[in-house]
Amino acid sequence: MYVLKRLFTMLVTLWIIVTLTFVIMHIIPGDPFATDSKAIPESVLENMRARYNLDKPLPTQYILYLKSLLTLDLGPSIQSKTTDVNTLIARGFLPSAILGIQSMLLALVAGTALGTIAALNHNRTFDYISMFVAMIGISIPSFILAPLLIKYMAVKWGLLPVASWGTWRHTILPSLALAVTPVAIIARFVRTSMLEVLHQEYIQTAEAKGLSTWKIVVRHGLRNSLIPVLSFMGPLFASVVTGTFVVEKIFAIPGIGKYFVDSIFNRDYPVIMGTTIFYSAVLVVTLFLIDMSYRFVDPRIKLASKGD
Amino acid sequence: MRKWNVMIAILLFAAAALAGCAGKDNSAANPSGAAQGTAETAAEKIPQVLTTNLSGGEPYTLDPAFASDTTSYFIIDNLYEGLYTYDKSGKIVEGAASKVDVSADAKTYTFTIRDGAKWSNGDPVTAQDFEYSWKRILNPKTAAYDPSSLYYIKGAEEYNTGKGSAEDVGVTAKDEHTLVVELKAPLSIFPIIAVGHAYLPVRSTVVDKDEKWAAESNTIVGNGPYVPQEWKHNEQITLAKNDQYWNKDAISMETIHFKMVQDATTYYQMYKTGDLDMILSLPLDTIDQEKQNKEYLSHPSFSVYTYSFNVKEKPFTNQKIRQAFAYAIDRESLTKNVTKGGETPALGYVPYGLTNPSGKDFRDDAPEKYYEFNAQKAKELLAEGLKEEGLTQLPPVSFKYNTADNHKKVAEALQEMFKENLGVEIRLENQEWKTYIDTFKQKNFQAARMGWEGNYLDPLGVLGHYTSSNSNNFTNWSNKEYDNLIEKSTYELDPNKRVELLQQAEKVLMDDLPIIPILFSADTALVSPKVTGIIFDARSNPDLRFATRVEQ
Repeated sequence: MYVLKRLFTMLVTLWIIVTLTFVIMHIIPGDPFATDSKAIPESVLENMRARYNLDKPLPTQYILYLKSLLTLDLGPSIQSKTTDVNTLIARGFLPSAILGIQSMLLALVAGTALGTIAALNHNRTFDYISMFVAMIGISIPSFILAPLLIKYMAVKWGLLPVASWGTWRHTILPSLALAVTPVAIIARFVRTSMLEVLHQEYIQTAEAKGLSTWKIVVRHGLRNSLIPVLSFMGPLFASVVTGTFVVEKIFAIPGIGKYFVDSIFNRDYPVIMGTTIFYSAVLVVTLFLIDMSYRFVDPRIKLASKGD
Repeated sequence: MRKWNVMIAILLFAAAALAGCAGKDNSAANPSGAAQGTAETAAEKIPQVLTTNLSGGEPYTLDPAFASDTTSYFIIDNLYEGLYTYDKSGKIVEGAASKVDVSADAKTYTFTIRDGAKWSNGDPVTAQDFEYSWKRILNPKTAAYDPSSLYYIKGAEEYNTGKGSAEDVGVTAKDEHTLVVELKAPLSIFPIIAVGHAYLPVRSTVVDKDEKWAAESNTIVGNGPYVPQEWKHNEQITLAKNDQYWNKDAISMETIHFKMVQDATTYYQMYKTGDLDMILSLPLDTIDQEKQNKEYLSHPSFSVYTYSFNVKEKPFTNQKIRQAFAYAIDRESLTKNVTKGGETPALGYVPYGLTNPSGKDFRDDAPEKYYEFNAQKAKELLAEGLKEEGLTQLPPVSFKYNTADNHKKVAEALQEMFKENLGVEIRLENQEWKTYIDTFKQKNFQAARMGWEGNYLDPLGVLGHYTSSNSNNFTNWSNKEYDNLIEKSTYELDPNKRVELLQQAEKVLMDDLPIIPILFSADTALVSPKVTGIIFDARSNPDLRFATRVEQ
C-alpha cells in the first residue's frame, strides 16, 4: 500500500516538473533557430518551426508533448537534427553512470574511513589531519582540481591518459575529480554522527561486553551514523550519475552532462525537457530507494505514510 | 546485519559489472589504423594516420542540408565534393564536374559530370544527384538550414517559399552527365558561391531509403576523399580514405581521427603529450608562450568584429559623431594588450585572406587605411557633430554586447578609450547570446557588437550585408550609391573592374560608417612537424585533404 502511494506521488511529481519546465522554458526569450547574426528568411524559419511543431499554439504543443511522453518518446533534438533525445540520453548515460557510480563508491568508502578515523581520534592529530583534508576537498572546485590532476598525473608524470574515453584508465582521473567534494562532505557527516553515537549508552554496554573497538565501530557505530549520510547520498547520487557538465567537459567524457547546459544555451526545447525529465526521474527513484534502504540500516524506521 | 552485507555485495557486483562493460567495449573498438595501411606504396612506409580534434565537440549532423556550424563542416568537407572544389593552392577548380560551360551572358552554367566520379558505395555520381540534392534543400518540407544560398538559381526562392514549383527551379539534369543551371541574373562569382556547402551532393537512393542516414557512420554515403569508418558519439570520429574517390591518388592520408575534446586546456595538454597532431583555437593564456614555437601558426579568418550603429537612434544619426567614435579607438593597442589572440586591427571592412586578380590581398590593395587611431581628429569631429545637432554635450550612449569574457574585455577597453580620447562616458550593457540576437535583430540598440563572417569568400560576401534591401542590414542605414555599386559588382564580369567597384563600395560604407570595424579575427593552431600539407587559409577550417605524415 505504501509503495503504491509512493509510486503515485512520484508520477504526480514528475508531471508537475514537466509542466513547470515546459512553461519556464518557453518564457525565456530567444529562438532555437537563431544560431548567429545572419538573418534567416521568415519563410525558412516557418518551415523549420513547422518541423518541430513550434508553429502551433503553446497549449497544443504541451498536449502533443505529453502524448509522446506517454509512449516514452522525448522527441527530436533541434540542434542535432538527425538524432532524437532518447538516443542522445541512451548514448551518453553509460559513461556518465560509470563515472558517477565509481566516484560515489570511492566517496562512500574514503569519506566513511576519514570520518571514522577522525571521530576515533577526537581532538588529536589524526582528527585534525582528516578534517584539514576534508576542508580542502570542500573548498577546491572541480574545475580547478581537474586541470591540476591532468597537469601532474597525466602530463608531468605520464601515469594516466590526459582525457577522452576508452579504457578503465581513462575513468580514474575524472572519478577522482568527481569524488573529492563528496568525500569531504561524507567525512564530516560521519565524524559528527559517529562522535554522537560513540557517547551513547549502548556503546558503553558493548565496551563492557569486551567487544573489540573494530567490532564496536563497524557493528554499532557506523550503522547508526550512516543514516544522515544516506539522506545526503540520494540527491548527490542522482546528480552525479546523470552526468556533470564541468568534469565531463574537461576530461572529454562522452556523457550527458553537457546536454543539461548546452540545451538551455541553444534553446533546444526537446533536449531541455528530455534531460530535465530524465534527471527528475532518476532523482525521484533514488529518493524512493533511499527511503526503502533506511529500513535495512535501521529496522526501527518504519515505512508508513500518515493515516496508515 | 546480513541484509547490510548483501547490499554491499550487490553494489560492488554492480560496479564491477559496469566497469567490465566499459573495458570490453573499448578493446573491441580499438582504432584499427594498421589494417588500413595496405594501399601504401613501398616508399611511404610511415603509417598515414592523422589525429586531430574537433574543439566544438560532436558534429551536430553530417548531412550537408542541415549543417550550420564549422564543426560539422570540418567533417563534411572531407566526405562530399561539389561541382567545384579547392585545389592545393586554395584555388577553386572543377571537382565532381570535369567541365563547365558558361553562357555569354553568365546566366547559364552547363556542367559536365566527371567520368569516373563515384559514390563511396560504388554508384556513379550523376547530374540527377545534384538536381535531387539542390531541390531537396529548396523543398520547404525539408526545412533545411541555408536554402537562401541557392536563391541565385532561377525559381529557387519561389519554390522554397511556397510560391513556385520544383519543376520551375533552374536546375535540370539533361542526362546522366549534363547538369544545366540557369541563374536568376548574371553572376560572375557563381563558382565562389557554388563551392559552398549548400551545393554539395547527397546520394538520392540513400537519403530516400533512410531518414536518419546521416546519423551513423555506416549509413553515410559520400563522394569525397574520405568515408566515415567509425563514429563514437561525443568521443571520436574516424575517417578512412575513400577508395572510390576519382582523385584518390592525390590523397595520401589513409586515416584521420577527430577526437572530440571541447575544453581548450585539455586538448592543448593532449597536443603537448603527443596524443594529437594538430589543434585549433589555442587557449588564450598559452598564445604568448607558443608564439615562439615553430609549430604555432596564426592566420586571418574571414571575419570581422564590429560595433553596429543604429543610424536612426540619436546621437548616431550624425555621421561625424559616428566617425569620431571610430577615430577614438586604438586598435593596435586593443589587439596587442587586450585580445591577444593573433587578431589584427580592422582598418577597413573586408577582412584579410582574399586575393585580388593583381595577386595582392584585397585589404592591402585598398586605396586607404580607414580610421587609424587619431584622438585629435576624433575630438574635432565630435565637436563638429555636436554643433550640427545643436547639442552642447553628448546625450547618454550605451554600447551593447553579448555576455562573454572576451567581449567584455573589448567593450571595457573601448569604454576606457572613449573616455580618454573623446572625453565621453558610455554605458555598457550585456545580454546572454540568444536574448542578445533577438535584441540585435530587432535593432533595439544605439551601438551593438557583432562578428560577421563572409557567406562566401569574396568581398561581396561581407559587403553585401549593407545594401538597403539586405535582411542582414540591422543598422537602418541605406545608401543609393552603395546599393548601386554592390549591384554592379554582382554582374561585372571583368575581375579588375569588379575589384574597383568593390573598393569604391567599401569606401562609401566606411565614409558613412553605419558600422565600426574593430578587429579582424584570427585562427590559431599548433601543427606537429611530423605532418605536412595541411592548408590554412580564409576558409573556416583547415583543409586536410592533401596532408601527409612524414615522420612516425
